[in-house]
Amino acid sequence: MKSAEDPLTQRDQTIAALLWSGTWFASALIAAGILVTAFQPFLPPVEMPLSGRPFSGRDLTAAGIATFILLPVARVALMLILFLRERDYLYTLIAAIVLAIISAGVLIDI
Amino acid sequence: MASGIFIVPILTLLFGVEIHVAIGASLISVIACSCGSAAPFLKGSLTNIRIAIVLETATTLGALTGVLLAGIVSTSFLYGLFAAILAVSAQQMLARRHESIAMNPPAAKSWATRLRLHSSFPDPVSGQALAYQVGCVPLGLALMYGAGLISALLGIGSGVLKIPAMDTALRLPLKVSTATSNFMIGVTAAASAGAYFVRGEINIEIAGPIALGSVIGALVGTRLLFWIPASRLRIFFVIILVLLAIQMLLIACGISFFKGSP
Repeated sequence: MKSAEDPLTQRDQTIAALLWSGTWFASALIAAGILVTAFQPFLPPVEMPLSGRPFSGRDLTAAGIATFILLPVARVALMLILFLRERDYLYTLIAAIVLAIISAGVLIDI
Repeated sequence: MASGIFIVPILTLLFGVEIHVAIGASLISVIACSCGSAAPFLKGSLTNIRIAIVLETATTLGALTGVLLAGIVSTSFLYGLFAAILAVSAQQMLARRHESIAMNPPAAKSWATRLRLHSSFPDPVSGQALAYQVGCVPLGLALMYGAGLISALLGIGSGVLKIPAMDTALRLPLKVSTATSNFMIGVTAAASAGAYFVRGEINIEIAGPIALGSVIGALVGTRLLFWIPASRLRIFFVIILVLLAIQMLLIACGISFFKGSP
């Protein structure tokens, strides 16, 4: 069995921590967005810092959804860094290929 | 089983949501469930992250193909394909999964050996490391490409193809197979969800609550599993899957009994 000091176990724990904290953060953003949308009529209007358009709960929900989409991508990026730190260049390359394919999907339709 | 396979039929059949909107919302839910449930598997050393990243090259490529095809295929085709996937899922749920672990020493020139995919996981009873060998990687990659494609087209986790890929082609132990498949689903769904999000095809008002509900549902569901007998749950889900498959097939043929259905 892998011991607590095993670097592979530490790597798994780091990835687990990212996914766990990211899920809670994204969920909190979506929950806050739903609450703000529900109570929007009773709240004073707030403008967005750069665009100047009114801030809405929808923006918070969209940020939560974007966080969820980015979370697995961040996980692959983290794996790339961890493989690189372990000087495992084959797996660093494989992680880079996965990131490139995901990026292609986003960029192809712009 | 991932929640995605139920979300699209429920949204389209019961709430009259357009199928592409339902697929986008379902993809976010699939990501949320995958990320939210990955930590316990990782902490238990059940997830083989090397296998995951190798197979993700195929699933993301499949998802990319699915995104490109999504704008071409007709809605009727999507309903028909969904009905077929629901029917196969029901059949898979009835048939118990079995392990076919390789006992021979691993071939020195196999893909799995070259990619250092053979590993071990801790036995929950003895705590001893149980070693396992990984089977046919090229066949696993081919099936995973199909899984990624179907995931992007239908907004599901594609367990229907991942189960044969993990259990039969790669011959992984069930616990490792479940943990690694769950780990990969998020990246596969993110590959297509990212593209749909940038194109403005994710409906925020629908996807947000569905994702939040899925995370809460996954947490509650895990606890409920201790209280409800697995055999009854299996039969209940098989009946639901078959009913949804019939309804989706009827819509594919242009027949609809629900007012809200397209």
